Amino acid sequence: MKKRFLNWLDNRQHLAYTIIIPTLFLLLCFAYYPAIQSFRFSFLKYNIKMPGRTGFNGLVNYIAVLRDPQFIKSVIRVSYFMSIATVLVVLISLGIALTLNVKFGGRGILRTIIIIPWAIPPVVNGFLWKWIFNGDFGALNGLLFQLGIIDKYQFWLNNPFVALNLSIFMFVWRYSPFITVLFLGVLQSIPNELYEAARVDGAGPLGQFFFITVPSLQRVGAIAVILILIASFTVFDDIYALMGFDEATKTPMIYNYEVTFEMGRFGKGSAMAYMIGIFLFILTMLYIRMSFRKEKA
Amino acid sequence: MVALIIFWSLAPVLWILISSISTRAELYSVPPHWLPQNVTFTAYKNVLISGEGFRGGGGISAAELIRKGILNSVFIAVITTALVMIFAPLLGYAFSRLTFRGRNLFFYIIIGIIALPSWPVLIGLFSVFSAIGLLDTKLGLILLSFTFRIPFETWFMKGYFESVPSELEDAARIDGCTHIQTLYKVSIHVVRPGLIAVSIISFLFTWNMFTAPLVLTYTLRSKPLTVVMTEFIGQYFVHWDLMSAAAVLAIIPPVAIVLFFQKYIVKGLSAGAIK
Repeated sequence: MKKRFLNWLDNRQHLAYTIIIPTLFLLLCFAYYPAIQSFRFSFLKYNIKMPGRTGFNGLVNYIAVLRDPQFIKSVIRVSYFMSIATVLVVLISLGIALTLNVKFGGRGILRTIIIIPWAIPPVVNGFLWKWIFNGDFGALNGLLFQLGIIDKYQFWLNNPFVALNLSIFMFVWRYSPFITVLFLGVLQSIPNELYEAARVDGAGPLGQFFFITVPSLQRVGAIAVILILIASFTVFDDIYALMGFDEATKTPMIYNYEVTFEMGRFGKGSAMAYMIGIFLFILTMLYIRMSFRKEKA
Repeated sequence: MVALIIFWSLAPVLWILISSISTRAELYSVPPHWLPQNVTFTAYKNVLISGEGFRGGGGISAAELIRKGILNSVFIAVITTALVMIFAPLLGYAFSRLTFRGRNLFFYIIIGIIALPSWPVLIGLFSVFSAIGLLDTKLGLILLSFTFRIPFETWFMKGYFESVPSELEDAARIDGCTHIQTLYKVSIHVVRPGLIAVSIISFLFTWNMFTAPLVLTYTLRSKPLTVVMTEFIGQYFVHWDLMSAAAVLAIIPPVAIVLFFQKYIVKGLSAGAIK
């Protein structure tokens, strides 16, 4: 009996289906089906706190989202967040990667150290910075005070614009290591002969940088930008821990959570989730296409 | 430049570590004591052992909260990682070494999850979970994080299998090994670095997970550490000593893993992002 089963299993078709079916089942139950469910919700008048009053609503939820000034503001806010974060992450990662690409003692340890921020749970990252930015006893206040830059402690997070910028900073700190690792991987794969050849041809350090390093980083740079755009748009945990539902840092992700799970408005929340989702889907497809292109090259 | 990089990467983490071993008097001093004069482990005692009640705790002691959170997090992360370790090589093998009808279709269905935005899924998931009784269970979180990790790991392992020669496996097949034997006696050794990378990244992902458990759990029966930590924040007052100690405890496992397996992670990360 057991032997017969093993024989049956050794057929490549049987084996493949036996492996795939459990996973496929989970994906259908916990990813595809829920996505269809919320798509259905997006056309319903549906508040989870008042399930009795559920009914078909047509496109009302979608229109409500588009005409919701809070949503529009959150989109503007996140656009600012994404642009600043992308520039900063690219510059910082590039700086660190270029430094770590130079041979020096202790480089290996340093390469390990720089990944640490990336490993920290994002929500803990939020708490970490909430403590540092604290108005009464925070380290940022302490540092600036002792350096003589401020003469009394400030409640940084009470100023909406400062709070938004600090939350960008917090994200940049956590996400840069990941991009640094990507850059470093590419930098190390540039053959040394290329630089030597350039030197022979009379290129100085700057020339080598612009004619060899920069072009080699082009593709990974484009992929990095897409990854940062996706990550900075979807950042939730850090902001939730740092600011909660504060107006100052209410990105579409935070607002979507508030509408759906705090207010219980599953209908409108689903519509918003789908509008956000389409945007993210486009970015993700771009990313997948670019990564596959490299695989073929 | 190097000093700056070290400061940039480590200072915030060191600060939370220092805060967690400072006395309350030093913790709330102006200007801050950068190096504590009296080192104390009271905060750790409070979140792990004796656990006084705290404002906003709702009758649950700090120790009970954090201990339960840690146990739940460990349980969820370990089981999820184990599942990934079992299924990732199997799926990688299936999609790289076996030919079968619908191979491409199945592969696209699986990696399609990567492109599926998580927010609509989460909203629908709430109703799916409540319909089948998975709300507020560890099992639910395990199945969920497995579901969202396995597409990446399948993609990665398929690539890994394709990047290593299959001669040894072919030889094993000719010697009469079944596919399963070939996989566990031969292939597994060849793809081990890749397997370690996906296991570590799955562990980190599951340990760090926050949004999904925030929505899908509501009691200590299943809340992971990341979620229970939020309860130290009251409306007007945050318990920074307890928070710092809990933060350090939440940071230790992922950071230890990163330090220990750095080389695999770097490989896994870069390969995952640019294939």
